[in-house]
Amino acid sequence: MSAPAAVRRKPRKVEASTWILLAPWIIALLFFGVYPFGFSFVLSFFDYSPLSPDSARFLGFDNYAEALRDPLFWKALGNTLLFVFGTIPFTTGLALLLALALDGAFRGRDLYRAGFFLPTVVSVVVISLVWKGLYSPEGPLSWLVRAFGGTPPSWLLDERTALPSIMAMDVWAASGYYMIIFLAGLKGIPVDLYEAAALEGASRRDRLWHITLPLLAPTFLFVLVVNSIRSLQIFTEVFVMTRGGPLQSTLTSVFYLYEQAFYKFRLGYASSIAYLLFALTLVLAWLQVKWLKLEGPKS
Amino acid sequence: MSAHATGRRHDAIGGVPGFVPWLLIPALATMLVPFAWMVFLSLQPGAGGQLDATRLADAKFDLVHYKELLAAGAFPRYLLNSIVVALAVVFGNVLTGAMVGYALARKRFPGNRALTWGVIATLMVPKQVLMIPLYLVLAKLGWLDTYAALILPFFVDAFSIFLVRQYVLALPAELEDAARVDGASELRIFATIVLPLLRPALAVVAINGFLLNWNSFLFPLIFTNSDALRTLPVGLALFAQGEHATDWGLLMAGSTVSVLPMLAAFLLFQRQILEGMTAGAEKG
Amino acid sequence: MPVRRLLWFVAAVALAALAAFGCSGGSPDKAGRSVVIFWQFFPTEQVKPVLDEFMKQNPDVEVRMEQLTWQSGLEKITAAVAANNAPDLCELGSTWFPGFAHGGALADWSDSAAALETSLTGWDMARVNGKTYGLPWLVGTRALFWNKELFARAGIDTTRGPATWAELTDAARRVNALGDGVAGWGANAGERYVLFKKVMPFAWGAGGSLLSADGTASAFDSPANVEGVTQYLALAKLGRVDRQEQIDDAFLAGKVGATVAGSWILRKAPKQAPGLRFGVSLIPPPALDRGTSASFLGGELLVSFARSKNQAGAWRLARFLVSRDAALAVARVNQAVQPAAVGAIDDPFYANDPNQSALLEQLATAVPTPNHPKWLDMEAAIEDEVEKALYGKVTAAQAVSAASAKIDALAKAAQGK
Repeated sequence: MSAPAAVRRKPRKVEASTWILLAPWIIALLFFGVYPFGFSFVLSFFDYSPLSPDSARFLGFDNYAEALRDPLFWKALGNTLLFVFGTIPFTTGLALLLALALDGAFRGRDLYRAGFFLPTVVSVVVISLVWKGLYSPEGPLSWLVRAFGGTPPSWLLDERTALPSIMAMDVWAASGYYMIIFLAGLKGIPVDLYEAAALEGASRRDRLWHITLPLLAPTFLFVLVVNSIRSLQIFTEVFVMTRGGPLQSTLTSVFYLYEQAFYKFRLGYASSIAYLLFALTLVLAWLQVKWLKLEGPKS
Repeated sequence: MSAHATGRRHDAIGGVPGFVPWLLIPALATMLVPFAWMVFLSLQPGAGGQLDATRLADAKFDLVHYKELLAAGAFPRYLLNSIVVALAVVFGNVLTGAMVGYALARKRFPGNRALTWGVIATLMVPKQVLMIPLYLVLAKLGWLDTYAALILPFFVDAFSIFLVRQYVLALPAELEDAARVDGASELRIFATIVLPLLRPALAVVAINGFLLNWNSFLFPLIFTNSDALRTLPVGLALFAQGEHATDWGLLMAGSTVSVLPMLAAFLLFQRQILEGMTAGAEKG
Repeated sequence: MPVRRLLWFVAAVALAALAAFGCSGGSPDKAGRSVVIFWQFFPTEQVKPVLDEFMKQNPDVEVRMEQLTWQSGLEKITAAVAANNAPDLCELGSTWFPGFAHGGALADWSDSAAALETSLTGWDMARVNGKTYGLPWLVGTRALFWNKELFARAGIDTTRGPATWAELTDAARRVNALGDGVAGWGANAGERYVLFKKVMPFAWGAGGSLLSADGTASAFDSPANVEGVTQYLALAKLGRVDRQEQIDDAFLAGKVGATVAGSWILRKAPKQAPGLRFGVSLIPPPALDRGTSASFLGGELLVSFARSKNQAGAWRLARFLVSRDAALAVARVNQAVQPAAVGAIDDPFYANDPNQSALLEQLATAVPTPNHPKWLDMEAAIEDEVEKALYGKVTAAQAVSAASAKIDALAKAAQGK
């Protein structure tokens, strides 16, 4: 159903209007894309300190080789993947359920929407600070566990619970955001389809399985890809809450490369880690596209 | 709401069962606890970040942090800067996202797939390694420490383009085809037919752009030097977070204040645009 | 509202606002004064009076000051240096300093700084390979903070702080036994660049060291360091393990008997815990007849960059800022740092405040970290291993020897370059 009209209709000549529509992207890429992306990619083959740019040294693939031998790189990657695969099913599922529930009309629905969206409105820095307080030994979460007679875990200070604690916070903070994207996707499904289905006596489940979910596939893909990209780059939460500790249990790839770039001034090495992560992200996104069998118009 | 006026309701699951709102109440409560905590901390005169939950009963309430915030002379300026920058970026994201996203979804040209993947790929490089090169570009252009540095690098946004493209893919092309048969030009079709249809997606783009820029901290901090160009998150970090001392009350008060415009923007967009879709579709 | 009209409205508002502000930015000084761009981390209102005084005394110089944030100041400085856009004068923390100095980013002040040799302390922080790349401006150390009320409840003498490790351990044990959520000791974990500053006072106090005299090998694997780490681990068992800010808050809430902290507590206490009775004293030596009272020495340096445009102006401003009166003016309002200037201790502000003067006294025996190019990696190595011991994964001896092996490898690698 995603087969675009253009595939059926247009011959080979590219119209001027197409270029006009594409112009913003091309201009932006020329100004702010080519150099930053190109430069950082080139850097990944150099020993480069931002403090002494003149003494940069070409290393070939040494940075990449070093990363692949670096146990902390693998530790960070493992944590990152754990984060990605441990949060995305929950975030996506919760967001979809909320969107389906809040698509129809009922009293107070807008308030519900605003309520679930609220976490998205606050900056990640502030959210992380607030949750740091929630997770403290005297904080409300520990208090709650004690009130039910349990022994609260040490949350961010135990290497077994630190990453899951951040993951729980992320599901909380991100679900409302993807809910809104799903809601917008739902709005794009023509009402006529539902009306026709109703005339044919389709059940609630039929509508869901045969109209809503198939037509939501592009949105679903979008949410999956965008959330994967974001989660693979998880950084601020770690930066504010744990700085990678305790015992590197929350060290993520981007936090690790950030430390390399700005505490050790190894921007070249940091770039090589960034592009390894980039390659992984690209493969993951490609697999998601294949899995959902969604492609745009072919050229 | 227009959808109600016409009697046509958009409803993905065919009517919400009566128990759903009740089911959502505990979920919503969970969502709101951290905010309650934030607002609560902002009202505590001398509290640290980990107020003892067992001593909630003795808590005192005081507006002292809000007064402190307003007394800081630069606060209104930070607020204004944040609004200006966010609005300008949102304008750019919406307009260019619609243009490029639509073209990628509908237009046939060599390299369409490559360009689409290129858009997504730019999202995949961690910005931590792009920061210094981008700074170098802005320095070369002489744009450091200007509004241009806060707006232009973020004016065209890959996320927005990708979102619009996905949205257009799900839209039927009949309306556009009909207009073509009537002899309308491509740009005219885009402006008069496609743009209104994109409302829900553009609402999300707008909300997203607003959010990101409203809360953006690192790039504005690094790209500007003058106090006159500071945005709200940067200003807040400057006066509430010292090396060893986060002024929790002040930070939470500032955050509470900065949430309000966002919440207003959300309510505006979701009511005005998210609901307007069915009415727009009916025009065709 | 139709989308298009909304868009135009937004655009109009944005453009109007832009036009109203104009695009601001650095413009040349109209009065023809030399402009010094100065980046620093203290709240503007704490530093501005001093800068105003400087400009009054030097009417030919205009200082443009910018406050940096603690979270991202380092990135900002790094980006500016990379783009050849660095400020003329900049505040740099002593742990960041070696990276910049070894990277060749800083201006060499060896010649001009010689004249200030006797009027400032903390020179070790500002030197690399015998050259001076900065002026010590404000310094800070860690001392023992203890809760008088909890000590009294546990039946411990509150007229003075614990004088030996044994006394300290005993005090922590007795306070910890009070129960009711009270911890005898506050130990650090779960974050970077903090634990080191808390463990090393004990290791240094027992006579331990980090690197060989010439900096080419590790000297960390020593009985003294094992002894120091063992003592810290023993204390940690008598209390809670947490991040700095959490320990601070708990201490101020009267829930921690004793901990190693810095003078930021003195700034927080009046606002956050006005009723708290606490003492500040030297970190005790292992025994009265053995070892020393040692601590970590950190500080804020003033540096200029090799490619700063106005280095002469930067030097003039730096020289003024480090002077006794100017540094005291900042230290007095900030309360979390002490001047590096010699003679500041005689100021009534310190003489009348036993807590502040205890910190100044501790400064005399505080140890700066080596200005090795790989210092931050070495510090991380020690923290990682000690943290493992803190979580019971390894013994103190294993932690010290593992950290030493890493430090040695880093020192050797730096040699090979």
